[in-house]
Amino acid sequence: MNKTVLYVAVAVIITALICSATVWYVMRPAPADVLEIYHWWTSGGEKDAIDALVDVFADDYPDTGVIQSPVAGGAGYVMKAVMKSLVLAGEAPDAFQMHAGYEGQPYFEGKYLEPISDLWQEEGWKPVIPDVVEDMVKFDGEYYAVPVNIHRVNVVWYNKHVLDDNGVDPATLTTWDAFFDACDTLVTAGIAHPIALGDIGKWTDTHVLEQIIAGEGIDFYEDWVNGQVTSATDPKLVSALNTFATYLGYVNVDHVTLTWDEAIARVITGDAAFSVMGDWANGEFYKAGKVYDTDYGTIPTPGTGVMYGLCIDCFQHPKGVKHPENSLRWLKVVGSKEGQDAFNPIKGSISARTDSDTTKYGPYQAAAIADFTAATYMYPSVAHGSGAPEAFTAELDDIMSAFVTDKDVSAAASALTAATNAASDDYIKVWDLD
Amino acid sequence: MRFPSRKVFMKDWMVTSLFLLLSLVLVGYFVYVCIGWNVIVSLSDWKGLTPSYNIAGFDQYLSLFHDQVFLTSLKNNLILILLFVPGSLFLGLFLAILLDLKVRGEGAFRSIYLLPFALSFVITATLWAWMYNLDVGVINTLLEKIGLGFLRPMWVADPNIAMYCVVLALIWQFSGYTMLIFLGGIRSIPESQIRAAEVDGASGFDLYRYVVIPQLKAPALSAFIVLMVFALKAFDFIYILTGGGPGWSTYVLALMMFKETFRKNQFAYGGAIATILFLLALVIVVPYLYLSFRREKE
Repeated sequence: MNKTVLYVAVAVIITALICSATVWYVMRPAPADVLEIYHWWTSGGEKDAIDALVDVFADDYPDTGVIQSPVAGGAGYVMKAVMKSLVLAGEAPDAFQMHAGYEGQPYFEGKYLEPISDLWQEEGWKPVIPDVVEDMVKFDGEYYAVPVNIHRVNVVWYNKHVLDDNGVDPATLTTWDAFFDACDTLVTAGIAHPIALGDIGKWTDTHVLEQIIAGEGIDFYEDWVNGQVTSATDPKLVSALNTFATYLGYVNVDHVTLTWDEAIARVITGDAAFSVMGDWANGEFYKAGKVYDTDYGTIPTPGTGVMYGLCIDCFQHPKGVKHPENSLRWLKVVGSKEGQDAFNPIKGSISARTDSDTTKYGPYQAAAIADFTAATYMYPSVAHGSGAPEAFTAELDDIMSAFVTDKDVSAAASALTAATNAASDDYIKVWDLD
Repeated sequence: MRFPSRKVFMKDWMVTSLFLLLSLVLVGYFVYVCIGWNVIVSLSDWKGLTPSYNIAGFDQYLSLFHDQVFLTSLKNNLILILLFVPGSLFLGLFLAILLDLKVRGEGAFRSIYLLPFALSFVITATLWAWMYNLDVGVINTLLEKIGLGFLRPMWVADPNIAMYCVVLALIWQFSGYTMLIFLGGIRSIPESQIRAAEVDGASGFDLYRYVVIPQLKAPALSAFIVLMVFALKAFDFIYILTGGGPGWSTYVLALMMFKETFRKNQFAYGGAIATILFLLALVIVVPYLYLSFRREKE
């Protein structure tokens, strides 16, 4: 064989060796004592919150390094896709953020999660965590996750100055009729669009519908999330959609080109009086230097006064992770009073535990904690992945996005019930909300 | 010409294949094996996060053609192909010709036109969302200023025209790129030909019509392919600007594939959409490959 060929062959082999060595070095198994977690908390305040939780973990387990792998992208839509690919590939991290409830279903059904009922028992979480919240991390009677926070979804944010100037008492807005009367008053006073909505991501439409459905009564909501609302002529479903259609009559016409926080900004400036949004909106008022109960305030969405709508993030214990022990340690910290009270005051949510230290929380959150402990009913949010199967929720977003443009009640009702029927196999949970 | 001896030929062949081997293996696995795998998934009954390779035949494809969202998406991809591709080509050609007229500050204009293409789709989509805003958006504000306030189109909020708004924004973003390609093509035409044409009395429009444009086939073809492929795989811009809405009015195949696979966990169904997208891309790319292969031979 010619010498040149030999040299080239040797060169290629050496190059290949160097390359593989580099690749191995970069991708080698991490040193033994680390914890790797994935989450989508990337914005300023959110990042501080998860850092505070990680600090609690670091205090308890100083020898363990924590690798945070944040994936940016609104409300986790990007990370949810990334996570499914990673888990499918057998590369699940030691724990990852997900919404409680049905978002865990594909992982549970694929047997990617380890039950952690023993951990719940040992840590004594059951007595301090409300039943519905517990139910949201259970499948087939076993616990599979630990909630880290609770956001309330059924909140109307209002500009206090605007309401005071026009003689509207927010405490009286307990029914949609009263609410729309107040809107009429504001329209007469020159506020053309008293309700602010920004639905560029579609889910905000679903979010509003969900609160209106809860306003039809907890029994109806329970039927809805249990997949029992299958008739397009169901009077309560039609009534809810009609309420939403009326609601849209008071909404800014440019909602399709706004994000939810741009809608909140209109309430802050007083261009609008109300906006229905989860209580992560509180951060927007805080950033704008507004004072709770002086500049702005909150009421439960009409008809849901005794209810607390739940949007919950949680972590779990995936099967076959690289550091199973650290994964369980992390869950212990996540569920602990200390961990929850470090994370939630910064995140803007409240602790999933009923024994949290209220002194650590801001004025809005203190009020929310009072409502949470006093709530008669709690319900899992559909818009935020918990209440209904993903196959249904994904369709719901599109159906609502069409509805806010055409306000066609019967078309939306048929599409909604058709989506429920199409996903009927996926309704594996039986919610007991009353 | 002397043919190389057998020994030299063998040596060349071995060296070449050694160098090709690595990329062949990588491309083979990450492109061709994955395409094949996707086709298999699309024929299976895989639903949820547990892989299933039970062959269910063409069920997924059959239900696709009864799926209204799929048909809307396909229609929107066609709108992109029929409007966005020629739109960007013509606007790019027009801008290139304008720049070729030896305007002052050509470099500055070139950068200005090219800038949109250098920006991320996420940024430009957000920008267009603001511009299309009904109340405070710059477009409606301008319309009002020139006395056309009564028009006040709903833009992306109107399901009937939302897709055309997307097309308009994409043309804006891509025309800078096609301009650059055409400008390069115009500049590569020998000066002597232009001079000769001028001596023959050609000028202005005729010069471009009969001398310049006919020589831009190659750059037009390569720009055409890039635009066509983009028209098929468009995702991020639309995802940010409209999310496929209002309703389903701006859904495209890539968007639907993402929703079915990663939001609804219908892996087989998503795989079927991906396969159809792949076939559409083949329809475009194969003639191009054939053409360029033939040209090389010539």
